[in-house]
Amino acid sequence: MESISLDALLGDGDLASDDVKACCAAIYESEPVAWLLGGQLHPGGEALTRRTAQLAAIGAGDRVLDVASGHGGTARLLARELGAKVVGLELGAGAVAGARAATAEAGLSNAVEFVEGDAEALPFEAGEFDAIVCECSLCTFPEKVTAANELARVLSGGGRVAIADVTAEPERLPAPLRAAAARVACVADALPADGYARLLEDAGLEVTMRESHDHALAAMVDRVEARLRLARMLRTPQTAPYRTQIEPAIELARLARRAIEDGVLGYSVIVARASG
Amino acid sequence: MHGSKPGMPATNDQSEAGEVFLELTKSICPTCRRTIDAELAARDNRVFMRKRCAEHGDFESLVYGDARRYLEIQRYNKPGDRPLELQTEVSEGCPRDCGICPEHKQHTCLGIIEVNTACNLDCPICFAESGTGAAHNGDGGFSLDLDQVERMLDAFVAAEGEPESIQFSGGEPSIHREILPMLSAAKERGIKLVMLNTNGIRLARDAGFAPALAEIGVHVYLQFDGFSDATHIAIRGRRLQEEKRRALDACAQAGVGVSLAAAVERGVNESEVGEIVRFGVEHPAVTGVFFQPVTHSGRFLDFDPLERLTNVEVIRALATQLPEWFREDDFVPVPCCSPTCRSATYALYDGDDLIPLPRLVDVDDYLDYVTNRAVPDLEVKEALEGLFSASAAGGTERTGERLECVACGVGLPSELQEVAAKGFMIVVQDFQDPYTLDVRKLMKCCVSEIVPDGRLIPFCAYNSVGYREQVRESLSGAGANGDAAGNGSNRSTTRAAEAG
Repeated sequence: MESISLDALLGDGDLASDDVKACCAAIYESEPVAWLLGGQLHPGGEALTRRTAQLAAIGAGDRVLDVASGHGGTARLLARELGAKVVGLELGAGAVAGARAATAEAGLSNAVEFVEGDAEALPFEAGEFDAIVCECSLCTFPEKVTAANELARVLSGGGRVAIADVTAEPERLPAPLRAAAARVACVADALPADGYARLLEDAGLEVTMRESHDHALAAMVDRVEARLRLARMLRTPQTAPYRTQIEPAIELARLARRAIEDGVLGYSVIVARASG
Repeated sequence: MHGSKPGMPATNDQSEAGEVFLELTKSICPTCRRTIDAELAARDNRVFMRKRCAEHGDFESLVYGDARRYLEIQRYNKPGDRPLELQTEVSEGCPRDCGICPEHKQHTCLGIIEVNTACNLDCPICFAESGTGAAHNGDGGFSLDLDQVERMLDAFVAAEGEPESIQFSGGEPSIHREILPMLSAAKERGIKLVMLNTNGIRLARDAGFAPALAEIGVHVYLQFDGFSDATHIAIRGRRLQEEKRRALDACAQAGVGVSLAAAVERGVNESEVGEIVRFGVEHPAVTGVFFQPVTHSGRFLDFDPLERLTNVEVIRALATQLPEWFREDDFVPVPCCSPTCRSATYALYDGDDLIPLPRLVDVDDYLDYVTNRAVPDLEVKEALEGLFSASAAGGTERTGERLECVACGVGLPSELQEVAAKGFMIVVQDFQDPYTLDVRKLMKCCVSEIVPDGRLIPFCAYNSVGYREQVRESLSGAGANGDAAGNGSNRSTTRAAEAG
């Protein structure tokens, strides 16, 4: 897949919903974005993944779906540390290939597999999974009701879904963060924590736990902001094409940081359970 | 400053509601120095030490300005490494058996040798109680000779194997006739970082001094408390701005790296800490700044123990004065000592923007010793431990290599690794004094005073418990010819006496 430049992050074009999903998936595969995120593709990193898995009561032998599995780090962690049998679902073909390769290298191919597919139309049978983790991705799905219903459908009786995601009060977000450009960075299309909880409850699940992790999001925004400033320090020919985009990106990161401090933007883990 | 009168019952009318008892430890009476119990408690999100001497009453002192952070950063408490050799036995218990005794939890990251008590200044603030008068030069003071210092260096090498760093101090060490051979002797023993702690007057006036330090490979630790006349008068008793400027320019010209060392006192110069950093990053000789809340031992100004500065207040002042550069959480608790003793950061600076290193690497992933998870990269962890250590200074070759390793480990492009390698170090270190001494922290202290009889006495014990006075007395006047050195015969008798 073609690497996507910062244009995609910072362009002001209005994106159709399919484009947004594809763009999102592709962006997380792109080198500049991976670099900006500093190897940590979701807030809280592995520590918060462990916490999320703990809240979803994932244990040895559980069949687990990791939605938007990216390069497969979480899927491998769940298999390696908890002994789960994991399926990673990912829209980006490049990411799936990368995830498979990394998993083979880690010797975990018998416990972890990756499927290319869309979270709004899960390629799985009803009741296939004991647990689902969905990290920092539901906020980017344009059809959230459909996605939530799909999660509920593939969950077994008594199964748990843990959503770790960006929370936002959209009407209080500053305009630049609401723009389409921010959507791919998981911000403008996020819901308040209540909104995710309602989605899951409307899908027939029972919300059992909510935990705020705003600090993890702040740390991630800080990391991106710092790396954008580093990029600005770097006066090489390779960075020349990005130079005009760096300033607005830094401004966006600072707006996000302020929004977190103001409680308009945050990060939460929400756990729900299927009856049975 | 002091609480109830001796013999009065402890007051119970003061409500303890809203106060959280944290731990019981041992401290000393600030008046008579005897060992007494001390309680640490959190109140209004600050941590206070409260203690009672049967004879001198109640004492209470602020020890950390952020209770939440105090508790959170305990996870940075790195398991200690024992030194190769111990010098004393356990007899009376901490802090009376220094050192280093078998109960101590850490080796020495930074050794200090005070070569004299004489100084060319009479600062109103001086924990070493040095000065210009006869009391510091003649009978009341001492001046070590090269032979003594070499034996002390040998003791340090015996205890540490390959010592990381040493600082020559005083008095004013630059006025000692043999300071250059002493510095060379440390270098010859393979000590990696050799520092001279100086007020800079000789550097400013003696054109040959900076080049001589450059030739030996010495890093200068320069007293630098701020810019205003009021700051200079309050802390040093004299305006020294011109001397500081000339000393720094001489170091720049000779290629000597300098860490600025600021004593920070509430109401005096905490408003200047940001400007000191701003000045430091711009000056070609300066590679870092050390901020030290004033140690209320020796000579100090009137102060309120409940409103003294701790690391938190200094870090907060930096974040407030340089909001575009720093936040409080950019400062990392240094794990080799007790995590509340020292915090540090490194900053990448390109002449325009400044980025603290902890924004680029999640230090918590590497330096959390309590949850003890698998670390992402062992080389990066080792480099970070070397950087966030009491033995580190900015601008040295080792610091540069370690910064480059971290920069490489977190995927910075090579051009930025070069910027990172020149990272500017900022340290905030709250040394303990008789008001704040906590043996729990002292037992992991990794800054030691090397004394002529070969003991390595943890710095805060040296300044608080009575060791400094004892050593000075044993070395001063007629006894000042190093009789005590090396033979160890007085080890059992030079323990800090219970005064009062």
